[in-house]
Amino acid sequence: MWILYHVAIAYLILNVTHAEIINKNVERTLDLTSQLAKTTYKISVEDTAGKALKDYVFVVKEPNLSFISVKDGFSNKVKYEEKKGLANDQTEFKLTFASVSPQQNLVIETVSTKNILPHPAEIKQNDKQLVKFVGGLYLYSKYSTNTQKTNVMLSSSNILSHTQAKPYSVSSNKLAFGPYENIAPLSEDELVIHYENQSPFLTVNSLDRSIEVSHWGNIAVKESIEMTHTGAKLKGSFSRYDFQKDGRSGQSAVKSYKTYLPASASGVYYRDTNGNISTSNMHFMRDFVDLELRPRFPLFGGWKTQYTLGYNVPSYEYLFSSGNNYVLKMHLIDHIHDNMSIEKAVVTVILPEGSANIELITPYSIKRHQNDLIYTYLDTVGRPVITFSKQNLVENHISEFTLKYTFSKVSLLQEPLLVIGFIYMIFIFTIVLLRLDFSITYHSHKE
Amino acid sequence: MTVDTSNVSGGAGTKAKGFLTWEKQEHLVKLAILILAAVLSFATRLFSVLRFESVIHEFDPYFNYRTTRFLAEQGFYKFHNWFDDRAWYPLGRIIGGTIYPGLMVTSAALYRLMWMLNVTIDIRNVCVFLAPFFSSLTTLVTYALTKEIHSTGAGLVAAALISIVPGYISRSVAGSYDNEGIAIFCMLFTYYLWIKAVKTGTIFWSAMSALAYFYMVSSWGGYVFLINLIPLHVLALMITGRFSHRIYIAYSTLYCVGTILSMQISFVGFQPIQSSEHMLALGVFGLCQIHAFVDYLRSRMPKDHFDLLFKTLVSSVVSLVLIVGTLLTLTGKVSPWTGRFYSLLDPSYAKNHIPIIASVSEHQPTSWSSFYFDLQILVFLFPAGLYCCFSRLTDSNIFIILYGVTSIYFAGVMVRLMLVLAPVMCVLSGIAISHLLAKYIKCVDTSSSKAATESKRQHKKLEQQSGGVKSEVAIGFVSIITLMLIVYTFHCTWVTSEAYSSPSIVLSARSHDGGRIIFDDFREAYYWLQMNTPENARIMSWWDYGYQITAMANRTILVDNNTWNNTHISRVGQAMASSEEKAYEIMRELDVDYVLVIFGGLTGYSSDDINKFLWMVRIGGSTDRGAHIKEKDYYAANGEFRVDKEGSPTLLNCLMYKMCYYRFGQMYTEGGKAQGYDRVRASEIGNKDFELDVLEEAYTTEHWLVRIYKVKDLPNRGV
Repeated sequence: MWILYHVAIAYLILNVTHAEIINKNVERTLDLTSQLAKTTYKISVEDTAGKALKDYVFVVKEPNLSFISVKDGFSNKVKYEEKKGLANDQTEFKLTFASVSPQQNLVIETVSTKNILPHPAEIKQNDKQLVKFVGGLYLYSKYSTNTQKTNVMLSSSNILSHTQAKPYSVSSNKLAFGPYENIAPLSEDELVIHYENQSPFLTVNSLDRSIEVSHWGNIAVKESIEMTHTGAKLKGSFSRYDFQKDGRSGQSAVKSYKTYLPASASGVYYRDTNGNISTSNMHFMRDFVDLELRPRFPLFGGWKTQYTLGYNVPSYEYLFSSGNNYVLKMHLIDHIHDNMSIEKAVVTVILPEGSANIELITPYSIKRHQNDLIYTYLDTVGRPVITFSKQNLVENHISEFTLKYTFSKVSLLQEPLLVIGFIYMIFIFTIVLLRLDFSITYHSHKE
Repeated sequence: MTVDTSNVSGGAGTKAKGFLTWEKQEHLVKLAILILAAVLSFATRLFSVLRFESVIHEFDPYFNYRTTRFLAEQGFYKFHNWFDDRAWYPLGRIIGGTIYPGLMVTSAALYRLMWMLNVTIDIRNVCVFLAPFFSSLTTLVTYALTKEIHSTGAGLVAAALISIVPGYISRSVAGSYDNEGIAIFCMLFTYYLWIKAVKTGTIFWSAMSALAYFYMVSSWGGYVFLINLIPLHVLALMITGRFSHRIYIAYSTLYCVGTILSMQISFVGFQPIQSSEHMLALGVFGLCQIHAFVDYLRSRMPKDHFDLLFKTLVSSVVSLVLIVGTLLTLTGKVSPWTGRFYSLLDPSYAKNHIPIIASVSEHQPTSWSSFYFDLQILVFLFPAGLYCCFSRLTDSNIFIILYGVTSIYFAGVMVRLMLVLAPVMCVLSGIAISHLLAKYIKCVDTSSSKAATESKRQHKKLEQQSGGVKSEVAIGFVSIITLMLIVYTFHCTWVTSEAYSSPSIVLSARSHDGGRIIFDDFREAYYWLQMNTPENARIMSWWDYGYQITAMANRTILVDNNTWNNTHISRVGQAMASSEEKAYEIMRELDVDYVLVIFGGLTGYSSDDINKFLWMVRIGGSTDRGAHIKEKDYYAANGEFRVDKEGSPTLLNCLMYKMCYYRFGQMYTEGGKAQGYDRVRASEIGNKDFELDVLEEAYTTEHWLVRIYKVKDLPNRGV
């Protein structure tokens, strides 16, 4: 510790220019109740030289960072820019304040996945699921910190062990570390907590979301989901008897979970390659539809499942138009289960035949794939398909994308006309055919 | 259906009005009845889709579905050369050469066609709705066939009858994706074209019927019935002295073209000229040539010369045929009669000789009640129809008489062949009803509607034919027939909805408060296998579930419903019937990773593996390696098969028993009964507290219907 301190001081002397900015006070809240590590930072920044603060560099020393939101003291969004080309376990952001002042307050929220790992990695059916969290004891910062505190929320009061860095306090399922004073820049220390966590450790390995827009008033949404229980793996045999008789057996197994659909969702189906999964319940709430999904079998650690969930929503809620210009506003991803973690999502939007000038605006960066065409019922030139994907998503990513395109209202008539024309041709053909004589020989008895 | 019958009876009495002439009206009524019947036959088969979902039923259809999917995705050549390593581990199975591809090709072609028209339908839905679609076609073809044989009216009644006959519905409900679904259509279509060919004597119609026969051969093994019935018809025509050039042309063309075409199906191969089942067709073909030759000679020779020549010719030909036949049979060129065919002739043959055939419930002899259940009034109308045919004997009538008589025999031998009987029952009943109604309804008409203005032609016709039956008698008779038809309609609907519309992959039961409980355990287990076992895991189960496991779980299995290798099935039977240690040896030998059993003791599902167990014992003991497995060891001292304390110790300690009842001894299943009460066998199980040494429970479904065990690896040394 002392050595580190000296090194830090030496570092400070070398970087005089940075020494002007300090973290006056840092309060961290770690929410470790689910499978996600959610952190809230409240940072008061000050420029000791009294200069106006413009930029601030914020470093997240956590692997698999999924989501970040930065706000200032007045709950206004702060612009940030991610620095590229760093190792996986470190992400650096350059924040730019909107208002210039020597003192700034920051509220930063981050969510990261796969930092709470089952320990032991394999348990028997009747065992409890224990997990281990490894993180940083201090805020990892380029600036020195005057005081900092960390509050940790756990899923249960059953804490097997944790880092004994004084001062700390334990009360039920809450842990408090700090306050720690005068922490040098770039100082690191490990925070390890080993505790019981029975909350569902479900990872969505892949989500295939397809949105098919029809200008006849309907939008069909279909989600193909691959899911794995990434908690402690089931060791040894599975006993149905224990599972049914003993309530304490298989607590970490996922029997069912809730998916929230839009309130106007109708025609919901829940199926897999073998057909309809008959075990689900639907409750209509005021502003959403609560769908209780039960996989065909309870998901124990390491078990996986795949299914398709689909529904229809009326297009007037999501599709807006003025003349030939259309705007589609829909959720990029939607709720699958609470505290979800999606490894990879591919979103496909299928627009009506004849849509052109397509422009996509997303709330966060995505990877755009090549546009495509598909042919389905009554198509002639094919429907344009827009595909994009993103990795490592969580619930905070549920927000709307905007898709602008133009579509001539006249081409709406194309499909009915096609059907009418086809039937008309059949009649014409029959009429003509019946009046023709194809026989080779001459029949004298015919009139 | 009520609409239909009123239309049939009304067909003669519809009044000509306004702009439509009499012929046009008749045409319209005819068309309306046919369309209604076709739509009805499609709609009545949708009970299971509406009640459950669009899903494939039973066992065999799952194989057909899987192969169709393969064909639709990979194309015909890949399909033709497909070696399936997912079944019959470690032997595998050549799919392309061991199936009738007609069904798969039909649905794959339909699927491709629809996709070409941008109708992006799922292949599963094509498969589910194929059988109802073909039933609609069958309805139309039945009309055409009956019309050729008797009259338009009879055709319409027959079409209406066949659209809802339970005997046919049992194999063609939506989701029952099996060969029979399209084969009945093919069969009737071939018959129709054959009758056409016989009537016209043109090469065109007989070539068409040869093509239809080819389609039939490609879709169902039952084509053997067809290729024996048509020669039989020709033979009967010869004997009755009705042989003519028409018949000669029709049969010669059909036989030559049909046989060559049928040999293109790789599963059939050279059978049409080698196996004894096809010899009647060949013999009749030869006879045809001789008959035609003799006719030719007779027309050119004086009578006494001809008689001498005829006698020598007959005796020499008969002896030659006998000698050649015996020689070919002895040298093995003509294959011996196969077991399935023997069981047709002698119902007890299979039971005594081949346990694997006898163990299938649809191969059992038909009980009397099931005739009534499947055909209802048709059973009584059938003889009347036969009488009508006999009373006005024609070439085509003889055919339908032969068809009726032979099929009723075969239906009596095997439940499954009820399917072949049902169409002819409808045709003959249609003839009977139409004949009777046509006779009586005119009398009703003249008495009731004298005042009405009728067209001159109709009036004249009616007066001519009214045949002196009193109007009251006629009314009474017509109303009885109508009542019978109405009752038939209700019966058919009831049977369809109650007996034949359960997918059997999803079970449903009534709970105490009247609600419906769904047991979806099969799919639960299969999906678990697919998701949570290694890709190349090998699963041992009794052969019934083989097709379903490969189709739904996509895992390798040891034996399946294509019971071609008796020794392999027997080996599995031996494993199930042996004690744990012995079974472990067999399972190691067969590389088994998981074992799957069906157990109904908790829910009361009676066709589970314990109830099938005696068949496993019998089949297991039927080969040399299973000689130590004796059926009587599994019976209790008093000769009963029981699972309680008095059951035989061999049974209580065999692998199947242990897998089914593992930890079941602690379960309370029914109020007021002890722990481990088996609801199917209605007894408390005899062996409760045991642990499994070589297996561990891998998964058990929610209602314990399917239990999956993992075979443990060999223990480490020194542990």
